[in-house]
Amino acid sequence: MTTDAATIGARPERRVAARSPGGSSLVARQELRDLWGSTRGLTALFGFSLLLAVLAYLASADAGINLLDARESVGVIVQTAIALGSLGAIVISADAISGERERGTLEALLVSPLSRRDLVVGKLLAATSMWAAALVVAVPFVVTMARGPGVAADALITLVVAGSLVAAALTALGLAISSVALSTRVSLAASLAALVLLAAPSQLPAIRADGVLGSILIKVNPIASGLRLAQEVLVNQRSWASQWVLLVSPAVAAVLLTAVAVRLSRRIELGDSR
Amino acid sequence: MNERVACRHLTVAYGDHVAADAVSFTVGRGEVFGLLGPNGAGKTSVIRALTTIIAPRSGSASIAGHELHDQTAIRRRIGVLPESSGYPKAPTGEQYLVYFGRIYGLGEPEARHRADALLERFGLAATTTRISAYSRGMRQRLGLCRAMINNPEVLFLDEPTLGLDPAGKDEIVRHLGELAAANGTTVVLCTHLLDEVERVCDRIAIMNRGAIVATGTVEDVILRATGAEIARLHVHPDDAVGAARLIERSVGAAAVGLDESRPGVIDVALSAGVGTGAAMLRAALDADVEVLGFERHRATLTDAFLELTADQEVAA
Repeated sequence: MTTDAATIGARPERRVAARSPGGSSLVARQELRDLWGSTRGLTALFGFSLLLAVLAYLASADAGINLLDARESVGVIVQTAIALGSLGAIVISADAISGERERGTLEALLVSPLSRRDLVVGKLLAATSMWAAALVVAVPFVVTMARGPGVAADALITLVVAGSLVAAALTALGLAISSVALSTRVSLAASLAALVLLAAPSQLPAIRADGVLGSILIKVNPIASGLRLAQEVLVNQRSWASQWVLLVSPAVAAVLLTAVAVRLSRRIELGDSR
Repeated sequence: MNERVACRHLTVAYGDHVAADAVSFTVGRGEVFGLLGPNGAGKTSVIRALTTIIAPRSGSASIAGHELHDQTAIRRRIGVLPESSGYPKAPTGEQYLVYFGRIYGLGEPEARHRADALLERFGLAATTTRISAYSRGMRQRLGLCRAMINNPEVLFLDEPTLGLDPAGKDEIVRHLGELAAANGTTVVLCTHLLDEVERVCDRIAIMNRGAIVATGTVEDVILRATGAEIARLHVHPDDAVGAARLIERSVGAAAVGLDESRPGVIDVALSAGVGTGAAMLRAALDADVEVLGFERHRATLTDAFLELTADQEVAA
């Protein structure tokens, strides 16, 4: 071993900023490298592509095995892409902080000048890349299938707008849970439970969904709302002007849950006590 | 200002459990300070409070001239190697260090230059694999590199030689000494390896059950905990009692000890009133005692540690 005394030994000046500049973008870049430089992100994306491909094949196959009409098939593909893409995003974000805590890498970050807020924002940005990648994979499937019934533009807009808002809300939810959960297992279980609970109203029978209670339940629920939008616009041929209200809940949830995740960053602790 | 770490009546508690109770000590610039104690003594809690990870229940502390509430100022001036530090698997050692260098505000080229220099210094320069392929010792050295990436004024190291082979331990201890002497870096070292402490620490504090039970130089602590140095005379067992009487005449009865379990061994506690071991040996020879062997027995830091933390050891 040799000593680079000129570099390390002497301390003529300390060129270290008071706070780390662009801390959130540093974290985001590092997280993106970790996610896409390892098998984690690519495996999830491969699974997503495979499921979507199988579904697209079944939906576009001959009438012998496909019971849905063309519009319904597009609706199912868009809804599935939103649900699975969001699931991927919530799984990644649910591991973000609790995973660092569990792997013993959190303490080094907490004693650095990086603020907890920058840490959370950076991880949030990186986790949304999971949805962005899912979107890139889903677009060709959706466009190809939507060309037949002539709803390609509507399908694309629904996927991008509703899907992005739902994914943003769920990513923030996963991260908020991850900030306070002591283990990844707990964080994942709580996040997935929340996902299932939020998705449940979208499975209501049509007759109940059209009732007053069902309608309210769906409109206040970001996932149910996003999925219902795909149903109404792509399958029931309702206009965007009459259905835009279904975007309010995902948009509000995305903003609120992001604010909650950032707020909870103050409560990030190591989680063990000696 | 020479004082880099000032810990004043610091109390750290988790709910009802008080982990560290009114702990006070100071560490100066360029000093290597050993914080010792058995498991659960409260060392890590003190370190975590001083490194702004947890808020103390009461008391105060300043690091590099900044009070604990000035967290960002402290964090940019310290380097920390936690006891149970983990590492990401995907990046290489250099990528990992550059990332932390950037977090500390270094530009990309400077962070890379510093990372490379540290990797060279700690014998990791030739390793270009991902961290997942590092051995435990290599990870520990990488952790030290990370703790030093910002050229810290104060370095907090919790078990820095964990997982290292003897040569690696030796190397780290040597580096710490050099760092403090040449660079003026203050090092607060938590370790169970007391021989390392004896070699490198200027001063130490021993904690037991959340409180500091001894502080000072290694010599001071040993002396206070275990008493005076012992001069040990080996004589024929049949001559032991007579020889002890003769020695008592010159050094006093209080200093001379005969242990029935070790026939032929006479212990003389050397203190200011007794004089040197050589004087005691001369007194024995002048009294025609046939001396079979002579040794000076100096208590070690381990003896002092065990003495000071005896109740904890028993409890454990």
